[in-house]
Amino acid sequence: MKVLELNNVHKVYNTTHVEVHAVNGVDLDFEEGEFAAIVGPSGSGKTTLLNMIGGLDTPSEGKIEVNSTDLSTLKSSAVIDFRMRNIGFVFQSYNLIPVLTAKENVEFIMNLQKWPKKKRDERTMELLKAVGLGERAHSKPSQLSGGQQQRVAVARALASKPKFVLADEPTANLDSKSTETLLDIMEKLNRDENITFIFSTHDARVVKKARRVITLEDGKVVSDETRDK
Amino acid sequence: MITKTAWKNIWRNKTRSLVVIASVTIGIFAGVFAVGVMNGAIDQRVDEVLENEVSHVQITHKDFRSNNDLGSYITGVNSIVENISSMEGVNAVTSRLHLVGMANTARKSAGVKIIGIKPMQEKKLLSLHQELMDGTGDYFEEERGELAYIGYDLAKNLNIIRYRITGDVISKLDSAGLPGEVISAITGFKGSRFDNEKSFKKEMRSLLTSEQESGFGRLILEEAQTFRKRAKFTLTFVDRNNNQTGGVFRVGGIYDIPNSMFESTMVFVRDSRLRSITEMPDNTAHNILISLDDVDDAGTMTEKLRKEYPDLEVMNWKEIQPDMAMMSEMAGAMYGFFMALILAALAFGIVNTMLMVVLERIKELGMLTAIGMNKKKVFRMIMTESVFLSLVGGIAGMIVSWIIIRITSSTGIRFSSMQEGFEAMGFSSHIYPSIGADFFLVVTVLIIITGILSSVYPALKALKLDPADALRTE
Repeated sequence: MKVLELNNVHKVYNTTHVEVHAVNGVDLDFEEGEFAAIVGPSGSGKTTLLNMIGGLDTPSEGKIEVNSTDLSTLKSSAVIDFRMRNIGFVFQSYNLIPVLTAKENVEFIMNLQKWPKKKRDERTMELLKAVGLGERAHSKPSQLSGGQQQRVAVARALASKPKFVLADEPTANLDSKSTETLLDIMEKLNRDENITFIFSTHDARVVKKARRVITLEDGKVVSDETRDK
Repeated sequence: MITKTAWKNIWRNKTRSLVVIASVTIGIFAGVFAVGVMNGAIDQRVDEVLENEVSHVQITHKDFRSNNDLGSYITGVNSIVENISSMEGVNAVTSRLHLVGMANTARKSAGVKIIGIKPMQEKKLLSLHQELMDGTGDYFEEERGELAYIGYDLAKNLNIIRYRITGDVISKLDSAGLPGEVISAITGFKGSRFDNEKSFKKEMRSLLTSEQESGFGRLILEEAQTFRKRAKFTLTFVDRNNNQTGGVFRVGGIYDIPNSMFESTMVFVRDSRLRSITEMPDNTAHNILISLDDVDDAGTMTEKLRKEYPDLEVMNWKEIQPDMAMMSEMAGAMYGFFMALILAALAFGIVNTMLMVVLERIKELGMLTAIGMNKKKVFRMIMTESVFLSLVGGIAGMIVSWIIIRITSSTGIRFSSMQEGFEAMGFSSHIYPSIGADFFLVVTVLIIITGILSSVYPALKALKLDPADALRTE
């Protein structure tokens, strides 16, 4: 089942003197449960593409459909709501709220969705246990390592049971061991809960784990390789 | 969750938040305390007007207030007093004679208003008898007709009060803790007599430094003053036939109130004595004073008496002293405006802090929008942080103000160096700050409004952030 469809997507930034074609006619489909990596050199358009898929940015041309919904037809407030219910985000620099505990960070989005407390607590602890941080639920980000913070970020991304998770360079700030642990956790969640993961990455370790690798260069897809694992 | 996060957010940068909170605390304390002092001064002045000067309602002859003519008197006073006394809500009633004349001693004279009173009745309405200065006599305890009750300032103006440094005065000042150099300086003019305050002060200035004088001058002056008990003076005026007349009086007692104009002009003598000198007919008076059980009924009682006595002029204290009434009625608005000005100044500090908060958290705000926090909630979070900052400081400021006002409302605050200025305007220089609970409620609302208004600009800045750009921020 297709969860995401990109048709002839372009993104042009108008700087003072020149037009920059960050994404240049991308056509891609993603099926439910994919574990895909978008790779490419810096400036190839990976983050821009991810931002457009997540509705943080709008294409200059073309169409992106998430679960058959064309994001460009939604009002900005509806896009935010759509994102909250359908898309999870994991960022390179974790971006946890420093004043909240791991548990509070994870349940933040469920609070926004007004989940009942009991249900919220159950889901939060389930996720923290899934990322191996059940014992650190009441630790603040400053009391956690980079790898642990990124695992909290993954738990947060999955909190509202999204259709897919977009992860922008999730391992860029992590050491090998943390990267390995994180990738194992995401792979397990992908397999167990059938959640689609799409990464933008430079990291060979991520690429190695991915079942599909899309390579971008100058805003264009130059290869799209699916592996059997 | 947003409220909880906002509360935690304000403690991210403790130093910065505490600086803002401290500035709000100090600002609120300064404002509330200043309002407490102003309110206390106005309340005391209104009490002074009601209890010593005017009472609640007065009745006069229609022409009396405009011409002050001895002939503009009310007739049938006894029945009017009896009738009003029997009315519901009336505490006490008395009648007075009024004359304008001169008070004279051998050395000085002064223009005065001579009021003929019935002392026992007056005591039921007013508290002037309680303002008697220690050691100056009494309030008409003797039946002698020549006794007069005069103000402290008039006594000084007529040289009835004199100044002398005696051994007794020096030992009193010594035991009051005056520094040795001040004691030895004033010992220099031990035994000298001074007819008036001016010459005493001149001598004191030559012996003391300006700091010593400003610190201890008033105490020395008060200890050095001597009264000539039952001192003689004459009152001269015209009688009802326009003949110059007068009489010899003795100072029965001296009153001291925080209104130098009243003190220097109002001389009280027995009604019977004044009536006999002026040949005023019995059962007449120039005005009738009425005190009520509740001062708030003054307006309705005035209307009632106007209907009852259409040929006479009936006025309540607010009409007799419109300046005080206006001050009392406008006080609330004035205090609100004063606090709004202080809060407006504080608001700029809060805006500045909240702008820094938004600029520092651009990436985080971008993340919050990315994970699904809508603009309304982002706005609410920034606004809540701003309101918390204002409220914490505001509540701290109000607690400090409440404690200080509670303490000073029983001890009072003395503005000794400004005493003359205060009393010239009719205000006491010993002020007991006071403030109603409702004012704290108004201030709380103003603080919340300040917090909300201060957050608008920073919150709008936050709303304008593009999440993709914000997430790219380092």
